[in-house]
Amino acid sequence: MADTPEAIRKAFLTYLIIGGILFVGTVITVLVATQEWLDFGGHGFDWHDAVVGMIIATVKASCVAAVFMHLNHERKSVYWIFFGSLFFCAALFALIGLAKENPIHDDYFYQAGEAAAPVGDTAAK
Amino acid sequence: MEIPYVVTPRKDTGLFNSKIAIWLFLASEVMLFGGLFSGYVFLRMGADYPWPERTLPILPGLLNTFILIGSSVTVVFAWAALKMRNWMRFKIFMAITVLCAVTFMIFKGIEYNVKFHHQAVRLKDYTVLEGHLGKEMENDKPVLDHNGKEIEENTIRVKADSLTFNTVRFYKPWVEEALSEAKHRGSKVTLASDVEAVTEEGKGKQTIAKAGTPLSVDLLEEIAEVHLDARGHNADLRTAALKAEWKKAKQDNPGSKGWQLAANVSIDTEALNPRLLTEIGTVKFNVEPPCRLDFKPRHIQEGEGSSRLRDDTVVTGELLESPMVFHNIDAIDFTYLAMKAVERGVDPEVAIENSWVIQNKKWAREAWEWNKAQTAKLEDRLLKDYGVDRETGKPKREPTAKERYRIGWKEFVAMTDGADRGEGKTFLKEEFVGPDYAGREAKHTFPHAEIPREQVAFASKFTPSWNTYYAIYFTITGLHGLHVIGGALVLCYYLLFCRKMYLENPEWLANRVEVAGLFWHFVDLVWIFAFPIFYLM
Repeated sequence: MADTPEAIRKAFLTYLIIGGILFVGTVITVLVATQEWLDFGGHGFDWHDAVVGMIIATVKASCVAAVFMHLNHERKSVYWIFFGSLFFCAALFALIGLAKENPIHDDYFYQAGEAAAPVGDTAAK
Repeated sequence: MEIPYVVTPRKDTGLFNSKIAIWLFLASEVMLFGGLFSGYVFLRMGADYPWPERTLPILPGLLNTFILIGSSVTVVFAWAALKMRNWMRFKIFMAITVLCAVTFMIFKGIEYNVKFHHQAVRLKDYTVLEGHLGKEMENDKPVLDHNGKEIEENTIRVKADSLTFNTVRFYKPWVEEALSEAKHRGSKVTLASDVEAVTEEGKGKQTIAKAGTPLSVDLLEEIAEVHLDARGHNADLRTAALKAEWKKAKQDNPGSKGWQLAANVSIDTEALNPRLLTEIGTVKFNVEPPCRLDFKPRHIQEGEGSSRLRDDTVVTGELLESPMVFHNIDAIDFTYLAMKAVERGVDPEVAIENSWVIQNKKWAREAWEWNKAQTAKLEDRLLKDYGVDRETGKPKREPTAKERYRIGWKEFVAMTDGADRGEGKTFLKEEFVGPDYAGREAKHTFPHAEIPREQVAFASKFTPSWNTYYAIYFTITGLHGLHVIGGALVLCYYLLFCRKMYLENPEWLANRVEVAGLFWHFVDLVWIFAFPIFYLM
């Protein structure tokens, strides 16, 4: 981390460059979303655009975290705290994947009026 | 007392204390926003309606992104200025940061305000109409209600001749509202008959209130007290009687199980009845002469002859015409209807042709025909530009469901301009606050429409109650906005009140600004994800 006046003076340019990257990244994200010549996948919004948008957002967030929040050279304890929480955050998203595999909107659940059958009895469907 | 490790790092962590504290706090924030963003994904995946893609105006969101990025740069410059012991420079950069925060919140406020005043209605056939409701007019002047406010044309009107209140569940503000409205219309609300009750065991009936007594919250509370006392007394009696019966049954049948005796254990109601006090569950008031009372649609379950409020008050009387009146329709959305048609195996276009709005409103038919022609043009162009997929034989690119089935305000503008979709002239202001009805009046007309109440399935402003998209949008952006306000207050404090600290211990102030700056960068980081998710996807 830039701590001495000399190092800080040098870091000014880095901060400006990162600011510029964030501006440009934002403009690219908007162009991908609105301009047909930069439209990934099919016409209009689809998962290709979502992936591109999230990749750009992740790059921007990484720049902020690494340079502005000085995570590019921090103490180990900070890494443990921050990346530990990121791990649990990722686990939350993984749980969404499990929910997709075992959806709440189970057709069987909503089969009103039909005879009750043991759970997992697919023949009853 | 001297606070340790505000400047020098601790040996075990290698950091000054407030820095380790802010990182622990930020870790909890990562979890909080991570949970909310995963909630967003969950809601979007499980949505049983067409998710509103790119529904928010992009420009305010984009400007807010630039503002937050800019403030992230200036806050780090402010910290650097302190490190280099340049107070004036610190003040300039910190002032810019705070100004950015204020501007961000102003844009957010405008955006929220637009949503809170924009009306949507889903009809029973799943057509969605959007626009702005009108105010009730008489002789070209707005009609005022009993509070002196203009009446939005979205009320359920009943010519009430009586009100029957549930003595336990009545909601005081609604009672006062009904009373005030009846008075405003020259009617009196009085007790329909004497309220009599046995209030003490072994004594006769007493008159609690006489017929003709004017309605008041105090009167209802008095009756409620009698009712609750009686209910408590009667419950005690019944419990005691039942206990005695059980005791007797156990003594008469030693060794028997409870379930064997249950069928034969009951209270002797004939013996008990003379001891019971009178419970007064409801109390009826007459409205004389019968007058119109207005209710918010979400407060009432209307019915012909008798309607019921959510606090169980029953309003009897003729149900008057209560249409929703849009003075400006700025979008017709058939995407939900089309989705439902596909689910039923019906051609969406046939379903749209048969929808209530197309069958009954000329402007809707014209707009639909125009939109179909525009979609056909777009199909041709996409086919020409991108060709056909060799494997499937289908065009590589096709119009989206939104382009096919949604006619938004920009489409209305283009249609009136005689231009193609996306080529109508819009003003910069409109990119923030939506269509400028007054400014466009001479040139463009957004349709006026009366929607009969029986066609309305659900109506709401664009608030969290409209759908799960708006629920999660307001939750995340609202919480983020609170973080912006909190962070700006702290930064403002450093800017305005920390000169003394700077002179005495500048390194301490630099560390405090660094910690606040870390929080500020995190706020920026959350927005970096929130912007594409809510505005672009």
